[in-house]
Amino acid sequence: MHNISQRKRTLLKVIVLGDSGVGKTSLINQYVDKKFSQQYKATIGADFVTKEIQVDDKLVTLQIWDTAGQERFHSLGAAFYRGADCCVLVYDINIQKTFDTLNNWHDEFLKQADTNDPEAFPFVLIGNKVDVDGGNSRRVTEKKARNWCASRGNIPYYETSAKEGYNVEEAFFCVAKIAQENEHVQDIFFGGISESVSEAEQQQQPSRCAC
Amino acid sequence: MMMKKKKQVPEWLNSSLWYSSSDHHRFDPPEPPSPLPPPVSVSEDPPTIPTNHDASPSSSISSAPSAADDTSRHGHAHTQLLVELSRKVIDMRELRRVASQGLSDAAAQALRPTLWKLLLGCLPPDRALWSSELAKKRSQYKHFKDDLLINPSEIIRRMHNSTSHDIDDAKFQSRTLLARSQITHGDHPLSLRKTSIWNQFFRDTEIIEQIDRDVKRTHPDMHFFSGDSQFAKSNQEAFKNILIIFAKLNPGIRYVQGMNEVLAPLFYVFRNDPDEENAAFAEADTFFCFVELLSGFQDNFCKQLDNSLVGIRSTITRLSQLLKEHDEELWRHLEITTKVNPQFYAFRWITLLLTREFDFSDILHIWDTLLSDPEGPKETLLRVCCAMLILVRRRLLAGDFTSNLKLLQSYPSTNISHLLHVANKLHVQSV
Repeated sequence: MHNISQRKRTLLKVIVLGDSGVGKTSLINQYVDKKFSQQYKATIGADFVTKEIQVDDKLVTLQIWDTAGQERFHSLGAAFYRGADCCVLVYDINIQKTFDTLNNWHDEFLKQADTNDPEAFPFVLIGNKVDVDGGNSRRVTEKKARNWCASRGNIPYYETSAKEGYNVEEAFFCVAKIAQENEHVQDIFFGGISESVSEAEQQQQPSRCAC
Repeated sequence: MMMKKKKQVPEWLNSSLWYSSSDHHRFDPPEPPSPLPPPVSVSEDPPTIPTNHDASPSSSISSAPSAADDTSRHGHAHTQLLVELSRKVIDMRELRRVASQGLSDAAAQALRPTLWKLLLGCLPPDRALWSSELAKKRSQYKHFKDDLLINPSEIIRRMHNSTSHDIDDAKFQSRTLLARSQITHGDHPLSLRKTSIWNQFFRDTEIIEQIDRDVKRTHPDMHFFSGDSQFAKSNQEAFKNILIIFAKLNPGIRYVQGMNEVLAPLFYVFRNDPDEENAAFAEADTFFCFVELLSGFQDNFCKQLDNSLVGIRSTITRLSQLLKEHDEELWRHLEITTKVNPQFYAFRWITLLLTREFDFSDILHIWDTLLSDPEGPKETLLRVCCAMLILVRRRLLAGDFTSNLKLLQSYPSTNISHLLHVANKLHVQSV
């Protein structure tokens, strides 16, 4: 029989949003599985992964929701957004439009997530695909992105390459960190067959959030 | 609160029917997709299911085969299907009944294209009308292509050269490209004003780019759809054409991510028709079958209907009710105890007609059943989804939110004949 135990853990719910094709699934898979593939299918609805990490001597479970990028799926967001501790916005630094839509994603999230204090809700912005064309096809400057972040209440900003694994760990560590400040402890029941626990990786993390 | 280990199982769920020899499948990890599944339906080991045939044939038109004599029935069904398909005027009721019993490997490639066209109403029951009907549809499709499609490089070229617009066909103007006469100096291409004529143009371009991105991401593990071969490239081209034409003819829905996945089984089956002429016209035939299929499911794709009685949310609620009706304990554990909102897994199951959840050959097998149900594919789809939950009930009842959602988001490979049998059993149960 399964050995069933009950423990209290810190569960951090993270929602990843952004236009179709900016690399949300790739970023998450690079972060969780250390893998990159050119072959991801489009995300439909929302996919769900977990990862355990250590933040300040505390074991936290990140529950990461990978969402569909197409606008059609916005109205279905509320069910996924509820109870989120952090929202990660992703755009492609090589495509201006994916940056322009950040305001929509930001506002739509706050509207649907129904958070207690929208002003203080933690976001992280990721500008992905810095590897493309050696940076020569960049359309959004880092300065412009940082200005946007400043105008939205000092959102931490990371530029990443999901393909090369560049800065991905750092970005998500920051996510965990600021999500934890917004922490909320939930009861999680671990049944004997819950694989999620054994999948936990406790690797060396960057010591602090460079936000 | 401790999780209950010992649970009351409804009497009928304890039937050995649910735990046949396919039982072991349910504890296998999901297998990675095979590099290139064969173009025919799989042949399963005949599960040793007890002869608990309480489903009398008369209780349902679509009574499924008892999986016990699957193999022998397949041979028989093949002959029956051939007989039905050879009639001068097809008896659709009889055809549906025979087809719902499943297609054998041998029958699949040769008979499935015609069968699906009949089931979807793209071929009339009267054989004498087939060739004229096909010719009419194929010619109509050619007109759609001529009127609605401009190849992508042309679009890019035009984007950079606003003076070259010369599409004046008033009939399609509102939903396709812009008439040159409407572009004024104030209507600069970079203007993002909602009133900008260019805005509509960019919206089209946006949709086309989205289609392009998703077509490239359709079954990346299959050479038929993906890769650099000429064959794969021409198939992708056909995909794009169909989806763009559909989007332009249906401005209320346009293109929704996932339509490419619904399109894939149809195109694959028609493109692999041994009849060379049919295979050559696979794109046109697929388009009309796709329209027919989506006419039953389009509400799921329509954002405006999400909160209506016919939209995706209410469809998911009906699945939830179906589960509650047949297995309240499982329903309670999933939705109340572990708080797994059915939208988290069933949204994809339902909108994509299960095309993401199984191997390709299994999908074709499931679709034979979906398409042959006389009530239409919608109800069958919900029963198959419900059966999917019931088949993994032991794991779900032992699982927490995380493990349950992960299990349902990557459903383990399973014996499809058995799954369909259980789904049909639910039908009989509620009759």
